[in-house]
Amino acid sequence: MSWESEADEIRRRRELAQVQGGESGISKQHSQGRLTIRERIDALLDPGSFEEQGLATAVPDYDDEGRIREFVPANYVLGFGKIDGRRIAVGGEDFTLKGGSPNPTGLRKSVYAENMACHYKVPLVRLLEGGGGSVKGSGKPGTSWGDPVFNEPRFRIIADAMGQVPVVSAALGAVAGFPAGRLVASHFSVMTKETAQVMTGGPALVERALGTKLTKAQLGGAAIHAKSGVVDNLADDELDAFRQIRRFLSYLPAHVNERAPRHSCTDPVERMEDELIRIVPRESNKAFNARLILDMVMDAGSVFELGASFGKGQICALARLSGQSVGVMINNNKIYAGSMTAQAAQKYRRFVELCDLFHLPIVNFVDQPGFMIGPEAEKAGTIRFGMAAVSAAVQSVVPWAVIQVHKGFGVATAAHYAPDAYVLAWPSVESGALPLEGGVAVAFQKEIAAAPDPEAKRKELEDMLRARRNPYARAESFSVHEMIDPRETRPYLCRWIEWIQPLLETLKGPVRFGIRP
Amino acid sequence: MARHEVESEVAGSVWKVEVVVGATVAKGDVLIILESMKMEIPVESPVNGVVEEILVKPEDQVAEEQVLVIVRS
Repeated sequence: MSWESEADEIRRRRELAQVQGGESGISKQHSQGRLTIRERIDALLDPGSFEEQGLATAVPDYDDEGRIREFVPANYVLGFGKIDGRRIAVGGEDFTLKGGSPNPTGLRKSVYAENMACHYKVPLVRLLEGGGGSVKGSGKPGTSWGDPVFNEPRFRIIADAMGQVPVVSAALGAVAGFPAGRLVASHFSVMTKETAQVMTGGPALVERALGTKLTKAQLGGAAIHAKSGVVDNLADDELDAFRQIRRFLSYLPAHVNERAPRHSCTDPVERMEDELIRIVPRESNKAFNARLILDMVMDAGSVFELGASFGKGQICALARLSGQSVGVMINNNKIYAGSMTAQAAQKYRRFVELCDLFHLPIVNFVDQPGFMIGPEAEKAGTIRFGMAAVSAAVQSVVPWAVIQVHKGFGVATAAHYAPDAYVLAWPSVESGALPLEGGVAVAFQKEIAAAPDPEAKRKELEDMLRARRNPYARAESFSVHEMIDPRETRPYLCRWIEWIQPLLETLKGPVRFGIRP
Repeated sequence: MARHEVESEVAGSVWKVEVVVGATVAKGDVLIILESMKMEIPVESPVNGVVEEILVKPEDQVAEEQVLVIVRS
């Protein structure tokens, strides 16, 4: 006697677990313009690389003779797979079954996803679509209530994973409750523009609690969350979301004990773009396109912006410089002159922490007029978030290169320098405690008020101080490393990338920091 | 024929209106110049189209996300 019949039964159960919500569940999913979880996984991964975990997991219903009456697959699919040849862990709810709200084995697999990624030291990608728990699911009579007291809190591993491996989440349909929590507990999150909504509580809960009738899209559509900062990026469709996930991971190590990756680079390190000599207008109040500076200096086509529609005064992107993955930032002068708002400061702090965690060098182009001021800024608590950003910068443990592009005023400018930063200055730099325009009004208040024509006096003082400016003084005093022709920026930075290579080798391991304001 | 509401990304004031109703504009053309935080901020057309409506005039105060111009493409 062999075990052939049991082996057949194992195969049969594996097949049953693959059927998802059956033909009707699958066609309903497709009719709403969304892929099934298995199609999503296949589209995300390198072809044929999926290695599923828990192949025969299900919530079965047995009759009295122990025969399967019903075999409902676990509604969470989990496994390993490869992205650009590197192994990752991937999981997601099967929305064709029970609307993605976890069934018992589905829940177990979803909880194991973070454990698996941390244990095997691989990035985790969550493809989310589903709701949280249901009152129907809690405690039938005679069953055990709640988790045992000795269980570790379920969210512990979700929080811990954020310090160990890259975690990426995509919202690809309605994501509410617990899955929404998972979405934000990520280093990068993306949602599809038309087909996803993200809600802490959905329309029925909101109507019951607040009496407000709103659709899912009104509550948590892309228009809401691009601005709320709940997701980093929007995607045109699911395939675009997968492209963005693959791209994000290409800049990061597989786990914190690896160094930041360096790829080969075909873009000449000595490339000098002529446009850089004129991109900053001589008139201080004229806006310019800051993103072009990143495109011209970093490796061609390597700039991947994060969170473009949140805290828009600060641009943060992953990029490569001479093939080395780096974090790169520049102020966006078109949004409140690039001043640091509460949102921009939160974005800044989070980005610096991301770079610290995964040992990415930071290249920071500075055009900082200061913290945002005014009644709205005070109500938003700008100075607190701003000082958290400053703290993140001054405690940063990765190498920084700072390019003084234009403005550098006030305390907010301190957020742009880490210890031992390599500092380059363009001739367009202006710096000090306050910009001349506001600074003159404060410092010479009495003199201006006493003048026969106060407005003319103010302008005269501003012009006089402006003429006295000497951009070369800092280079003479070695308070910047070099003053450079803006066209030389790429060659200088690419040389710096070579200098920091030995240092990058020493930066492996987890990072810790204390409470920040 | 799509209707595009061009919003202000910042709070500030209208310095110049660079187009008139009926004008043909290309994507990236400057429609309005705002002044905010002592910077001149160009507001550009998001599409190729025709200016259908201008909802502000010079010296108006504008709020974040306020619709400034409607362009039909």
